[in-house]
Amino acid sequence: MTRFQRASRLRFSAVLLVMSAGFSASALAHNPMCECKAIDAEQIKCTGGFSDGSGAPGVTLDVVGYDETILVPGKLGADSTITFKKPGAEFYVLFDAGPGHVVEIDQADIEAP
Amino acid sequence: MSKSTVAPQPSRLGRFWHKWRFHINVLLLLIPLGFMPKYFADAALFRGDIGLGEREVGEITVGPWSLRLAELRNEAPRPQGPAGYMKGFNAALCDACIDQVKATYLRIGKPRSLRAAGALFFGTPYRMGTQLPVPEKTKADAELWITMEGWDGSMHQASIPLSQASPATLAWLTQQGAQP
Repeated sequence: MTRFQRASRLRFSAVLLVMSAGFSASALAHNPMCECKAIDAEQIKCTGGFSDGSGAPGVTLDVVGYDETILVPGKLGADSTITFKKPGAEFYVLFDAGPGHVVEIDQADIEAP
Repeated sequence: MSKSTVAPQPSRLGRFWHKWRFHINVLLLLIPLGFMPKYFADAALFRGDIGLGEREVGEITVGPWSLRLAELRNEAPRPQGPAGYMKGFNAALCDACIDQVKATYLRIGKPRSLRAAGALFFGTPYRMGTQLPVPEKTKADAELWITMEGWDGSMHQASIPLSQASPATLAWLTQQGAQP
């Protein structure tokens, strides 16, 4: 092994070590996240996931009215998204990955197309 | 005539390094000492030696029950990547309610339902912890709602002003609001 190879290998190990230390903190937390966008005047598309970058296929996402009736019961598809028709009544989106792991998105916070 | 190659004279710095390299490396051992006070302070905080958290909010009555609430750190919410800003709170249930309370939740603003009651406290009832998401557009007069669910199915709620629960968070929100 030449001197240059040894030096570059050492540098690579050092960078790897620093990066491992940096990413370890983000691997600990995995808070639920959900983002909703109106794709046209009628349809809303929501994407769920966790802050560690993992998706949330099969996780419950309900569209709930202000009177607490469930307007659209749903589950996220294999691509961690769901598209639903905008309800007529006032509503909010509830991404529910279990007790304490929920995200609420009010209709006022959903971006227009 | 024989040709002899003369080795280049090492520089002054080179000579210094060669002479003192072992002594200098011993100094590296001193570097961790600088981090010791923070390490021991954190260890005491997480072990509970300095109480429930850095700043105790006080005893809060929630229906027939009560809990002691504390800020884990007396500071503004920390950014937690794409999930936004999070603020750590600790709580301890009252001795009489440990057996009765199934779950304790924390939320900014009144929960719409038990399903959306907010961040769930986890851990031993003597020292539970949670990370509360704090939206950046939270209003300064917002309230912190505590929801407790009993094993008998009952639910009780209480609220305290955010200014009382975490002045550091309120100061941070005011500062955020000042930005364009």
